[in-house]
Amino acid sequence: MNLKRYFPIYKKYPKLAYLDSSATALKPQVVVEAMTDYLSHYSANIHRGLYQMSEQASSAYDETRKLIAEFLGTKDEGEIVFTRGTTEGINLIARTWGETYIKPGDEIVTTQMEHHVNIVPWQVLANKTGAKLRFAKINDHYLISNDQWEQLINKKTKLVAITHESNVLGTINPIAEITAKIKAINPTCVVVVDGAQIVAHQPVNVVELGCDFYVFSGHKMYASTGVGVLWGKRELLEAMPTFMQGGAMIREVGWQETVYAPLPDKFEAGTMPIAEVISLGAAIRFMKSIGWKTIQEQEGKISALVQKRLGEIDGLKIFGPSDLANRGGVFSFAMEGVHAHDIAQILDETGVCVRAGHHCAMPLHGLLKVDSSTRVSVGMYSDEKDIEGLIVGLQQVKKIFYHG
Amino acid sequence: MDDLYRDLIIDHYQHPNHRGSLADGVSANEANLMCGDTLKIMVKMENGKITDAKFEGGGCAISIAAVDMLLDYVKGKRLSDVQKMSGTEIEKMLGVELTPSRKKCAYLGLEVIKKIGL
Repeated sequence: MNLKRYFPIYKKYPKLAYLDSSATALKPQVVVEAMTDYLSHYSANIHRGLYQMSEQASSAYDETRKLIAEFLGTKDEGEIVFTRGTTEGINLIARTWGETYIKPGDEIVTTQMEHHVNIVPWQVLANKTGAKLRFAKINDHYLISNDQWEQLINKKTKLVAITHESNVLGTINPIAEITAKIKAINPTCVVVVDGAQIVAHQPVNVVELGCDFYVFSGHKMYASTGVGVLWGKRELLEAMPTFMQGGAMIREVGWQETVYAPLPDKFEAGTMPIAEVISLGAAIRFMKSIGWKTIQEQEGKISALVQKRLGEIDGLKIFGPSDLANRGGVFSFAMEGVHAHDIAQILDETGVCVRAGHHCAMPLHGLLKVDSSTRVSVGMYSDEKDIEGLIVGLQQVKKIFYHG
Repeated sequence: MDDLYRDLIIDHYQHPNHRGSLADGVSANEANLMCGDTLKIMVKMENGKITDAKFEGGGCAISIAAVDMLLDYVKGKRLSDVQKMSGTEIEKMLGVELTPSRKKCAYLGLEVIKKIGL
């Protein structure tokens, strides 16, 4: 099925082989149109205007929240907080829940496969509160062994932060299983899941996962940049202090004291990125219209092809699980004697877009014993031709650097 | 592309003349924030003139070729003169035009040498 036809970028660049969907996904026409429609025809502020145009904007904004609640498998729309992205979601949790409930001597656990966003805010929190930051190790198969949780979790563990899918290794962590293990040892431990890399690729149900917080960005799931989602359990969100203070998040303001608005407004201070939220609603509707079956079949087929074709290249090493059952369509690799930047540059000359560097995971690259890697990642529009282009480009790399 | 990755650049990258370290001398280092690669340059001087220079660190073909060509060039020159060089001169040495992101790679060696003695 040719899903490229929904994405206007391919009209301008028919031969584009975009393999950097982990960094950001391309935008379908319907998302562009939904944003343009708001900006062109009803660009009023939300929730405070009594005129029709503002009502229309409010209703489009609120409709996205409804769609997200359904998308995540929760019935409580108050648990859906809009943010500017995954980064803001994690920082919000660290600064509010974390600074309130983490005490000296407590332990915070994250993993060795995290993006910097799931390490640095916890370092800052640990330093501020006197808590200890610990890391679940990855094994030779690029997975976190079950015994890690038994070794790391104890009664002092207040919070575990883990990625649902690694943006470098492609490893998909079995969150429901991990959460059950953690809660069996310490029922009050809060589990924060970074879903940035997975929400565009498979269904997520936060109730089934059993976690306490789930965060992701809109732009990696075909919406605009500048919008993200924080889902949290109601009782936790209600017991948290506010994050940013300003307009829209209040119920009553006096000179000395303020009563805050109920969820979710409590965490949505100031004018939110309305056009971006509307784009997220359009992206969800678009994904629903394509359907998970089609998306997963297409991406599964292309991921298998990437793994096979990369595996055929001598001197190329993939950092990530070899079993497709444990991974998504993110493939980071190194080629002996060739720097990732040179690979990416040569691929760019043949119209293939990949990412090169440490992908915001410097500690992980240290473990992999490389300074950088080249990353190929697939989206619903990825097809066989893109992968053919990738392989032709990599043969060119070999020709230049290996003279053969 | 064939131009950017011409044989001279690949040759300097694969067989650099100046990789290594110096027992005595002055040095500086710097990281390319885009990729995290770090580069250290050591120079030995007599009467203000550079008599030997070495570099340590990883990098892409562009950054390694650029630093290796730069260290070829600096021998016998005054450090203060070398520190006045511009990025354009590095591009001339490489003999290629660079995109903005690759300029950062190519100029890394020059940036490091400019830090020596500061």
